[in-house]
Amino acid sequence: MALTLAAAFFLPLFPLSIVFNGLLMRLSNPYARFALVLLWPQIGIAALSFTNQAIPEYMVIWAIISSGLYALRLLTVRDLGLWAGFLASSSLALTWGLAAHHTPVEMHLFAFWFSLPAALLTLLAGSLSRRFGAAYAGLYGGLASSMPRLSILLVITAFVAIATPPSPGFFAMLNLLQRLSLLAAIGVLAIWLLWSWAATKLMQGFVLGADRRHGLPDLGSAAILLYMGVLCVFVVTGLYITGDAL
Amino acid sequence: MKCTLGTRLRIRAMVHVAGEPIPNFWPMRTFIHHNPLYGLEHMPFQQAVEEGSRLFHADGYLPRATYQGYLEQGKIDMATLTAQIGRFLAGQPEIPGVDLQVLLMTLATKIREPLSIRPTIADSKDMHAALKGNALTPGAWDDWLKEGLKADISPACPVYTIVDELFGTAIGTSLDELVIKSCLDFFDEGQSVWQMPGREQGLFRAWSALAERNLRLFIRGLHIKNILRADDTPEGIISHVLTELGVPEDAWLDYFTRELTRLHGWAGFIRWRSSAKHYHWSRNFPAGMVDYLAIRLVLGLALLREHAQSKGTPASVAELMRFIEERPAETYLRREFHGGRVLPVLAVEVEKAICSGRESRISRLLPIYLEKKREQEAKHLGTGLRALASQAGMLKPIEELGEIEFHQLTGILTRFENEEGQMWLNAQETHYMRRLLNGLDLASPAPRDKRPFAQVMFCIDVRSERIRRHLEKVGDYQTYGIAGFFGIPVGFIGMDKGSETQLCPVVVSPKNLVLELDIARNPDDQALASVLEQVFHELKASILSPFITVEAIGMLFGLDMFGKSFAPLAYNRWRQHLHPERLDSRLLLDKLSREDADSIIRSLQRAMIVKAISRDLGIEREAVTDEMIRELRETALGNHEGPTAFANQFKLDTRTEQNFLERLRGVYRINSGYTQIQLERLGRIGFTLDEQVHFVSQALRSIGLTSNFSRFVLLAGHGSTSENNPYESALDCGACGGNHGIVNARVLAQIANKPSVRERLRAQGIEIANDTWFVPAFHNTTTDEVKLHDLSLLPPSHLVYLERLNNGLRAASRLCAAERMATLQESAHAENPAQAYRHAQRNAMDWSQVRPEWGLSRNAAFLIGRRHLTEQLDLDGRVFLHSYDYRCDPKARLLENILTGPLVVGQWISMEHYFSAVDNEHYGSGSKVYHNVAGLFGVMTGNLSDLRTGLPAQTVLKNGEPYHEPMRLLTVIEAPLEHARQAVEGVVKVRNLVHNGWVRMAIADPVTGAFYVFEEGAWQLRHAHEKELLEKEIAA
Repeated sequence: MALTLAAAFFLPLFPLSIVFNGLLMRLSNPYARFALVLLWPQIGIAALSFTNQAIPEYMVIWAIISSGLYALRLLTVRDLGLWAGFLASSSLALTWGLAAHHTPVEMHLFAFWFSLPAALLTLLAGSLSRRFGAAYAGLYGGLASSMPRLSILLVITAFVAIATPPSPGFFAMLNLLQRLSLLAAIGVLAIWLLWSWAATKLMQGFVLGADRRHGLPDLGSAAILLYMGVLCVFVVTGLYITGDAL
Repeated sequence: MKCTLGTRLRIRAMVHVAGEPIPNFWPMRTFIHHNPLYGLEHMPFQQAVEEGSRLFHADGYLPRATYQGYLEQGKIDMATLTAQIGRFLAGQPEIPGVDLQVLLMTLATKIREPLSIRPTIADSKDMHAALKGNALTPGAWDDWLKEGLKADISPACPVYTIVDELFGTAIGTSLDELVIKSCLDFFDEGQSVWQMPGREQGLFRAWSALAERNLRLFIRGLHIKNILRADDTPEGIISHVLTELGVPEDAWLDYFTRELTRLHGWAGFIRWRSSAKHYHWSRNFPAGMVDYLAIRLVLGLALLREHAQSKGTPASVAELMRFIEERPAETYLRREFHGGRVLPVLAVEVEKAICSGRESRISRLLPIYLEKKREQEAKHLGTGLRALASQAGMLKPIEELGEIEFHQLTGILTRFENEEGQMWLNAQETHYMRRLLNGLDLASPAPRDKRPFAQVMFCIDVRSERIRRHLEKVGDYQTYGIAGFFGIPVGFIGMDKGSETQLCPVVVSPKNLVLELDIARNPDDQALASVLEQVFHELKASILSPFITVEAIGMLFGLDMFGKSFAPLAYNRWRQHLHPERLDSRLLLDKLSREDADSIIRSLQRAMIVKAISRDLGIEREAVTDEMIRELRETALGNHEGPTAFANQFKLDTRTEQNFLERLRGVYRINSGYTQIQLERLGRIGFTLDEQVHFVSQALRSIGLTSNFSRFVLLAGHGSTSENNPYESALDCGACGGNHGIVNARVLAQIANKPSVRERLRAQGIEIANDTWFVPAFHNTTTDEVKLHDLSLLPPSHLVYLERLNNGLRAASRLCAAERMATLQESAHAENPAQAYRHAQRNAMDWSQVRPEWGLSRNAAFLIGRRHLTEQLDLDGRVFLHSYDYRCDPKARLLENILTGPLVVGQWISMEHYFSAVDNEHYGSGSKVYHNVAGLFGVMTGNLSDLRTGLPAQTVLKNGEPYHEPMRLLTVIEAPLEHARQAVEGVVKVRNLVHNGWVRMAIADPVTGAFYVFEEGAWQLRHAHEKELLEKEIAA
């Protein structure tokens, strides 16, 4: 039971997830945030793999409720770093849906499919903070005109993070839905819908609006190539692995 | 309590005054170029631009970086800019050790982004410290906060805007959406299949009747009914709402203006509509600004109350003021956060603090926030100042300035940046003026040894300049410029139309009506294609039929789509073949005599009586005699009393007979009142011989064409053709009220060809040669084609010359297309004239083309004078050319006419382009790509927005930068100084435009060879002025 609770700490379920999000907020270095989002859930899955007990049904219900709460919270959050953390909290909680079936590799991959784009969002939040002082939606719209590269990257990463096809998250979600009961699957679908709504709202706050001619530099060519390369490899790998799994 | 008549009248008057700054908005079918700041034309230009910025939140000048670009391209007169800065500095204090002239010149020409020294917290002391890299001294915030908030929040501000700013609610947006939906319902002119009921009662009543029963509003918690119960008049409701909100009465006027300017497109449309008495939709469905404002206020109050109930936000001025008084710190942070001004680094903390609502937390955060903000403002401005000082080589002296001097310096910089736009504009205009005036040829023209092959009158429109130039080059053509309605204001009823179109500038109301009559047509003959088109349209518009038709005939629409998309030229030509050729027609131009009019009315009334007898009494025509019908008519008109022979014949009792007579009077309108109206209407048809002579004489004299007439005198009206373009009429003739000019050309030609008219003209000294024939023509500005009309009337003797005429016109059209297409598409540079001509025709038929032509973009000047003045110049399609010979106008009356009509229209066009180019989002209509037609009279961005006024981005911008170089219209009059000055001073409207700087004016005196420019309130001899500037430039 202790191991299960430890897993709930790392595969964050509310209220234990407060620690994960608190830590994320306290870290000012984007790379540290990146590492935290990427590694934190893997520890939880490792802890789960050491338990010999079956995961009780109520844990899955708890996970879906926790995920739903964070999905709702996403609608009002305007800070990109915080948003990425809440999205990770919402999506990683769904890993519990697979835990009942004790498939550690699938769980590791599921967490990875969701934590990598969220971690990339924290890096992009760092880029925005360096330019504007904070990555806060609605304060300096019109990035599509003034910083087209950063805008495109931001939109693509956010779409990948909310499991839009053909991102690996999309196929992982389909896989998860097959494993759940009808009621739980409906709940997960509703959560998925909330992610999309929240992402659209957030992107509107950054990308659209009048071009205020910030006069700040856009992302460099090397950075954009690196980010896009990572995303492409991520999507292709996902297609290969999840395609096989399906 | 119901509103008294006095209060109602006062509110009505206040709304009228409050709406004055809002420009009229005409329906798109007849797009009228207008000045977006027309309501502010009584102010000097610079002042009006500032007021416009306050009312419409728009910029009145281009960004500095764009002007700097013009400077690099040599489009700015440096001497003028220098002189302007010098004049500005004359009123400013001197700063020891700082050369302000150099500093401001550096700021204007070398620093791209404005310093924008409008700090909210930091003062000049802080900026000075930041400039020197020193730490800021701690500030005291308490008094500052309370005073600042009081000064910022005005009771004349709509309450919901302040609530939105403090609580992040979107009441304003919701209100706008609800108002727009209501307007779309009411003002629809045929786009909707289901019409709003009760529209004939007027906007407010129709809306109230629906809103009281609107379930959606009720579900949203908007209890409209409770508010509407207070009064049944819109004025009463306005008074009630403002009293409920607690807005002090002395702030009502300003409150109304702010409400009305929020959706100024809709308000402008309603304003125009309420004054357009001839407008069919306004006559049938009346609406006024008072109705509109009442609806806004009712919905606004309902939304405020709903938010107050669900979110606890203030719902009146008193509650709002109490909140601000009790929680100044929270108010400040809320405004910063929801107003989008919050410091990004502290955004999360501020959000958390205001969401928690804990006073202690807010009080702790506020000083930190204010210090941080002050530091950032000071740092930002300090960095800007440092860059400027370094660039000007004055860093050290500025750093060493004392506190007072530094404060003075920042004040000067702020004032300079406020006035800088006007300085750039003056310098830009001076450059253009100098170039234009230097190119004019003031020498007397050499007399012609023979008459030209043809004389062609084009519209003054800037687009005519190109084709005139090419036409004069390809052959022996003499061209003239005249307002496109040829000086004849005409109300026109076309062959297939039931309503009147006014073909004249909107500042004129036509007295005469012209009817178009077909030569021989059977009304039952309608092309199969037209019938099918109508059927398809109705199938599409219906609610249910698309579900079925998409399966059945969807493929046909697909073919249409492919045709229009991939081969627009060939496909549209093929489609045109499906329609029968338009038959020849004639215009009814001669005035009817009283006897003729009486006879027509008698005949119509008799026909109505026959119809009434058949419909109401079932008696057929063969059973009644002409005499019975005459007697019935006389009785209905009250000219005869007692039982009629008709009643006796058919044994109608008195009651039945009286009922029938009443129906004749009421339903069939056979009564003396309506007869009088009919007589008046018939009286409008045609022109008397005197009028005909007057109009022809005036048109010819105004352009100086009184002798040496050619065999052909072409009257070329103009218009445009484009597909899928709601702005099509914006490309048509402004002088014809946004319509094609061909009708006016036909009218003048038909009159001028009449022997009786020519005889009278001869007596007035206008000798039109016997073989001269006036031929109407249509200049299509999208394709550059010039097509001759009414050729069937051409005398046989002229037919042999027709081929030469057509050849010349075609050659000019092709050359014009080659020049013009190169400005539209880079790839068109390599095209030969024939290719360019085909390209232009394709543009006119391509439904995906967002820029079929540039229209009047880049218009810059209005020249009133003889053609030889500009004959050798390539004016690049930027100048309105109105022919005028002062020698034919000794009393300057014709010049006054030109100034009153064409120049005012030109100024509207110029200002429309100016403001659409400087701030396309606010004064223009944004990108066409997102436009949707609204109610068949306007366009909106997306599916719900304010009516977009002004010009689209595709008309004035190219790659996001202004293609139209925004300048005020430079008007040049070729006439002796006193002659021109007398005319300008004689027309009050024009005098005010010139004195207030809305129009730049110059006089080219052909007698002395000197130019006079109106500057600084007086006519200044240009040579002396120029010399002085040049000297200054050299000195600089």
